[in-house]
Amino acid sequence: MKKNTKDENNRKTVLAIIVLTVFFLLLLKLIYVQIFLHSKINRVVDRMVNRKNIEIPKRGNILDSRANILATSVKRYTVFLDTRIIEDFNKVKTVLFKNGIKIKEKRISDFGNAAYVPIAFNVNMDIVNNIKNEKLKGIGFESKYTRQYPEGRLLSHILGITDCDGNGLEGIEKMYNSYLSGNYITTKMYRDGLGHVIRDKFIDGLKLQGQNVELCIDRNIQFIAEQELRNAFKKYNAKKAICIVQDPTEGKILAMVSLPDFNSSTKIKNIGFLRNAAISDVYEPGSTFKVVAIAAALETGKVKYSDKFYLENGKFRIAGHTIKDDHKVKELVSLSRIMEISSNIGVIKIAQKLGKEDFYRYIRKFGFYSLTGIDLPGEAKGLLMEIKNWNSLTLPNISFGQGIGVTAVQLINAFSCIANDGVLKKPYVVQKIENLYDKTESNIFKSKEIRRVVSVETARQLKKILKNAVDFGTGKNAKILGYTVGGKTGTAQKVDLITKTYSTKCYTASFCGMIPAMNPKVVILVIIDEPKGGSYYASSVASPIFAAIAKRVTEYLGVEKDDIIK
Amino acid sequence: MYKSFLLITFIIFSIFVYLWQQNISTRLAYKVNNLQVEYDKINSENDILRLKINSILSLEKMYKIANEKGLLCPDEKSIIYID
Repeated sequence: MKKNTKDENNRKTVLAIIVLTVFFLLLLKLIYVQIFLHSKINRVVDRMVNRKNIEIPKRGNILDSRANILATSVKRYTVFLDTRIIEDFNKVKTVLFKNGIKIKEKRISDFGNAAYVPIAFNVNMDIVNNIKNEKLKGIGFESKYTRQYPEGRLLSHILGITDCDGNGLEGIEKMYNSYLSGNYITTKMYRDGLGHVIRDKFIDGLKLQGQNVELCIDRNIQFIAEQELRNAFKKYNAKKAICIVQDPTEGKILAMVSLPDFNSSTKIKNIGFLRNAAISDVYEPGSTFKVVAIAAALETGKVKYSDKFYLENGKFRIAGHTIKDDHKVKELVSLSRIMEISSNIGVIKIAQKLGKEDFYRYIRKFGFYSLTGIDLPGEAKGLLMEIKNWNSLTLPNISFGQGIGVTAVQLINAFSCIANDGVLKKPYVVQKIENLYDKTESNIFKSKEIRRVVSVETARQLKKILKNAVDFGTGKNAKILGYTVGGKTGTAQKVDLITKTYSTKCYTASFCGMIPAMNPKVVILVIIDEPKGGSYYASSVASPIFAAIAKRVTEYLGVEKDDIIK
Repeated sequence: MYKSFLLITFIIFSIFVYLWQQNISTRLAYKVNNLQVEYDKINSENDILRLKINSILSLEKMYKIANEKGLLCPDEKSIIYID
């Protein structure tokens, strides 16, 4: 009996020792975990529970001058499959097919057993919600902002494009990328045991959103210009066509069209279409440039408004070359008449009186061969020979707009300078940048004066000359009912790149004009490059387009009529 | 004895308050997250609707519809201005 009790006690002791040893080992492990593994485990848990999330900002909108949306960003989804956890592949396939998504089996086999097999891009929210409601395993969604242009082709060159990550590549999208792109914010989140996200902060979307950029371009004026120009572009089967509408007093660009164009929302097939010809392409302006020589001659006092010139009966020999006019005029003609009949001989004589130094100085003063500073990327400076390299033919050539390369924006800005009583303004397309979060507006985009080029008196004489050119001269087709119009046609021969001489087949027809003639509210430039199928003269090609645009634009802007209808 | 009872009660009460506020803050965090999701969703829907409105009202579309309906710009001579 005693022996039994002793055995029992021994067993109890052994058991107690075992239990105590286990607890002791556990204690040791606990001490090891708590003290020695403490930081390592903390790191692992931290990684499991805490989540750093980069909040992707929504790109700011681009608006027109009346706050209509021209470019905006919306959330679109990429649908992907996690092939490792799909339970019923046929059901997944059927559900996706019902929602307009076709699964290409080859694509899945190419990816193999992967957690991310993208199967559809740019899917909208309704479809995503429909698929989510089916509660199928193995389908995932990834959201991303994509750029949308609700007006389609309208303003494509001005707005530009973005890449797939939303960075501006062309146009306003590129120029104002830093304002539009917004701020990336990193936020902290926690995940519970079931993977649910726990957030301790509410993030206002407006804080992240990029700033809105408001243009001074009016979409209605842009539409008018685009529509009329597109019709002419098709009619004349032209190589290129440009139209710019500018407010001369402020320098604001109200519309700018370059054709051919593209649709920013769809795939761009020809990368050359991205080029904004209105600011990047240089062309010989032809007779529209005559106004520069006359302005300089009047301003320097070397020629008076009342001076008369002999036009050599339409043939003038200079430096071994014969310059011809379309009109054979025997009698003396006034300065105004020279512009009315667009006489090359007349302008050459004026330029000769002016002299090459003054002519060169005024070409530069009007802003040619320098950047206008317009807030669009890719502006060209133009082409002009250094004065030391001018030969005996350079001055006469440039006086009627050949042997010089200008951009459309430079030319319209020079005409706007005359319209603005001789003050050259900086052309611009953005008038405001607005921060939606703190409601602040950036007003750095104000009208800027570059310099006074000619006096008010000279500018008024020039406006009268331009008015006469429309009333009695080559610009007749630019007339519109109820308004006085001032302007100048330009038919420039293009250089044949093979023969390196002026072509007799390829021309650039242009017209630059202002309405009303003496107190202009708008200046419009129309350029048709290589019109085909009949006439190539600016008076029959460009002037009617100008008239069509001017009529609708003045009506839309409510410009007061100044020509009494008889 | 009474003092010990009070101390224990105080400790238990403090633990309760601590756990209670922890619980509430977690619940609020869940709620904040749900609201954020809802807010983002509404914002997205708003953006899409605004885009739809702008696309419907695009000038090219309106012009096409006007043409289909036979609406034309009136001739200048057929407009009478009344002062």
